[in-house]
Amino acid sequence: MPDDRIPQIGVVFPRTDALTKVRGEERFAADYYGRDLVWAGVKRAGIPHARLKSLDVDQARQVPGVIAVLTHRDIPGENRQGVVRKDQPVLVDDKVRHAGDALALVLAESKSALAAALKCIMCELEPLPGVFDPEQALADGAPLVHEDNPEGNILLKAEVKTGGDESVWDECAAVIEACFETPHQEHCFLETESGWAKVEPDGKIVIVASTQAPFRDRTEVAPVLGQDPTSIRVIAPYTGGAFGGKDGITVQSLLGLAALHAQGRPVKMWWDREESFVAGTKRHPARMYYRLGAKTDGTLHAIDVRLYLDTGPYDHLGGAVMTQAVEHSGGPYRIPHARLRGWSVYTNNPIGGAFRGFGVVQVTAAMEQMMDLLAVKLGLDPVQLRLKNAVRCGDKNCVGVTLTGSAGLEECLEKMARHPYWQNRQIWIQAAGSLKRRGVGLAAVMHAMGYGTVVPDVANAQVELTLEGKIRVYSGVVDMGQGNAATNLQIAGSILGQAPGQMELVQPDTDRTLPSGSASASRCTYTFGNALIGAAQALKERILQRASDLLMAAGPDELVLVSGLVRRVTTGQDIPLAVLAKWLTDTERIAVYRFRAPVAQERPAKDEQVRLHGLPHCIFSYGAHLAMVEVDELTGAVEVQGYLAITDSGRVLNPQTYEQQIHGGIVQGLGYALSEDFRVADGRIQTSDLATYIIPTAMDVPEMLSIPVEINEPTGPFGLKGVGEVAMNGPLPAVANAVAAACGGRCFSFPLTSERVLQVMTFES
Amino acid sequence: MREVFLPRTLDELWDLLRRRPEAVIYAGGTDVLVKLRAGLIAASSLICLERIEDLQGVRDQGDEVYIGAATTHRTLLADPVIQEHFPILIQALSVLGSPPVRNMGTIGGNVVTASPAGDTLPPLYVLDAEVEVRWSDGAKRLPLSQFILGPGKTSLGPGQLLAGVWLRKSADYNVHHFEKVGQRKALAIAVVSLAALLKVSDSGRIDQVRLAWGSVGPTVMRSGEVESALEGRVISRETLDQAAALAQTAVSPIDDIRASGAYRRTVAGNLLLRLINYAR
Repeated sequence: MPDDRIPQIGVVFPRTDALTKVRGEERFAADYYGRDLVWAGVKRAGIPHARLKSLDVDQARQVPGVIAVLTHRDIPGENRQGVVRKDQPVLVDDKVRHAGDALALVLAESKSALAAALKCIMCELEPLPGVFDPEQALADGAPLVHEDNPEGNILLKAEVKTGGDESVWDECAAVIEACFETPHQEHCFLETESGWAKVEPDGKIVIVASTQAPFRDRTEVAPVLGQDPTSIRVIAPYTGGAFGGKDGITVQSLLGLAALHAQGRPVKMWWDREESFVAGTKRHPARMYYRLGAKTDGTLHAIDVRLYLDTGPYDHLGGAVMTQAVEHSGGPYRIPHARLRGWSVYTNNPIGGAFRGFGVVQVTAAMEQMMDLLAVKLGLDPVQLRLKNAVRCGDKNCVGVTLTGSAGLEECLEKMARHPYWQNRQIWIQAAGSLKRRGVGLAAVMHAMGYGTVVPDVANAQVELTLEGKIRVYSGVVDMGQGNAATNLQIAGSILGQAPGQMELVQPDTDRTLPSGSASASRCTYTFGNALIGAAQALKERILQRASDLLMAAGPDELVLVSGLVRRVTTGQDIPLAVLAKWLTDTERIAVYRFRAPVAQERPAKDEQVRLHGLPHCIFSYGAHLAMVEVDELTGAVEVQGYLAITDSGRVLNPQTYEQQIHGGIVQGLGYALSEDFRVADGRIQTSDLATYIIPTAMDVPEMLSIPVEINEPTGPFGLKGVGEVAMNGPLPAVANAVAAACGGRCFSFPLTSERVLQVMTFES
Repeated sequence: MREVFLPRTLDELWDLLRRRPEAVIYAGGTDVLVKLRAGLIAASSLICLERIEDLQGVRDQGDEVYIGAATTHRTLLADPVIQEHFPILIQALSVLGSPPVRNMGTIGGNVVTASPAGDTLPPLYVLDAEVEVRWSDGAKRLPLSQFILGPGKTSLGPGQLLAGVWLRKSADYNVHHFEKVGQRKALAIAVVSLAALLKVSDSGRIDQVRLAWGSVGPTVMRSGEVESALEGRVISRETLDQAAALAQTAVSPIDDIRASGAYRRTVAGNLLLRLINYAR
């Protein structure tokens, strides 16, 4: 159903993929099959730490319908992968380091033959003592996850120090100390990890994957297969959700390896939910020690933070997540004296990885509860305490970086202070029914945009006038459900004056689109949008110039672009774009533009490794969140009855997708706050499926109000900043502060299950 | 590959059971299909009961109501007879699973699965439900409490079928109360549940009471001791506190992934305190 309205910035632009998805027509990676399909799957270790003594695959090879059984010996290149540190084997060769490690890869004619063969693989595994707690992993004599790591079980440590020495604490009127623990979180995307691969007759290896980073995948898979990256093509359709869990290799290397043994037949791998739980990445659990000091009037003076993040056995962005946590650990506040330290620690637990929020979720949970504890201690209003310390443009943030971008936290908090939810809270609280207690809590949030200083945050956009007279937009960044593909059409259409029906979209494909980085870090529309504006404007200029020449007009000012044609407004002459396109050479019909996001020049951390992992950033989104909760005195059950998020992520391009991002972040955050109690015992996941790992249903989610504070970000496309993650940071602390206000006591471990809340209430009474 | 049979009459079913005595019987499949996928049960053949008319629907028999075992939860929720006479069952059904689960799952399945967390069971226990068991050349009626023997265990013998549930209408109770504590508001397995039928006088005195708890023991649990502590007393926080303390010693819950036994024990008692809302 092509829409014939020319898109405008700031107006709802329906997602072009909405109808195809609702109809089931949109082809996700999991939907690729084909003739002569080969099924691939892997044998998982099942135990968290063990030495591989031997692997017997002979029996599995005898299973009818089995095409090949491959082990680490069959890997033609390097058997290590990883985004930063290559420490994860594709197939185990020396040691099992977590229960989800892959031992052998099976190719079979059918799913049932595959399942039968996997059961026949005999592994001799000598169990080793494991390490399951990040602080215990740092102790002398702790079992080592990687014996060759010079830092023992430390993947990366980071330290930022600003201001004075220990004596600054004597200048504080109030000091709060607390330790917070947050759990793993499972992404629970609808489409579990999946992909499809095939070796083309010319030798090219094509991999269709549910991924957030097709270009980086290619450079990770190539060394494993012993191939040149250009001999691999990665295609990235819309994903059925990702949230960070597909930012890095899942099925890609295994599929590439399988394709090399499939004689040109297509190979499919699709993890079921249980495999996704055991082998996929999760949000890093964190133990966070906080000490916060302030003057009598609430002015923050000093902060000391120690963060221990459990990255499981592999890096998988664990160093970058920890670094980002350190950078945000002091919250969106001016604090002159800060000592912020973090450790990303190897354990034999499930793999920690990227997850919407990327370390900021954990530290915001801690810091925003510290702010409420401080407000109570000093007898100050929690909004006013935050307002007093909120960073503004030109201030230094907690790592000492001067904020030059837009900073709208004050506006968000002021709006919150005036909102009826906050103004009328006492009336609402007092209206609690029999055996219920009510509380209102809030949280201030910020979230950095982009990769940071060293890793280039770059996008290359390409726009083409096709011979049919359509505008084809080559999306460089994956649409994992956040809606950036439609936003790309909105941007290009608004500049080139074309309605959606006159435009085409090419999804990321290493052979067709240009490298533009990963779909992550709240960067997709900021970085790619800026590049796309450049490309669309260049193409517009060229089209108008060539049309002007063709019509012998005085200049392009006489011409405008409208859907499907160029119009000479001075004479009323129209040239269809399909006609004009024939007058252009192939190279003229295409415009490209490169954009690199600005970077901060400060060096808050002495260690160059920390800078390499992303610290610091220079542009942040901000927000103020409010949760209204009702706690049941008999069961401890927490019901969130109202939720408000006021967000500064710059100007809003599409109010609909903007609101969806805020709502999605809130819901995922409420699950993290209340019910997603991911449990691991000695490296084994206890909540191993969606029956025991409790994500929210629609029934558990309140009415959510989202109010944008539209401050122009001068460097952003049409003034935009990233909005993909910022909302995820608020729910846990806002709900925790509300529950603490309702119960008179506070939990320090999360999520806030009924059982934990009832315990606190019983203790307080 | 697996055979699935869809008999249309009970006679066809008895014939099938003779030919395939090892077959697994199911109606909605909301329990059986999950167990099959997880490999917890093996079945070379399945027999589905949903097309047997005798096992479907609610029949008003005057003093009694008969519910065919393969009647779905959704059908029961919409049934005027159930709505009028057994509101406590409606309350429990409305928080069972989710709309798709209620569209597929059946009351007979919920009974035969015999989980202490089965949402219909506490209401059926306080309603003194009886079940009808049939086999190829016979039938019998027995109390539900004698039919369910333990977690996942019933007295159903080989070749026998749970055909339906009998409920006796009663005007004795003016309070029908059901509360389920789960980990979320839908698609939740009961951590603790309480079904309570009360006859409360105009002065607020409890003249009659029946209580049953889910998920606090191997089967749904009833306690005469707790009922006696309430009977004849005016609803007050003090009375309910005493009953709650008795309930907490009477239950025998376990620790599992959803909650600790200690939490279940506390909440099993606490849920009685909710009855304060019925004080006059």
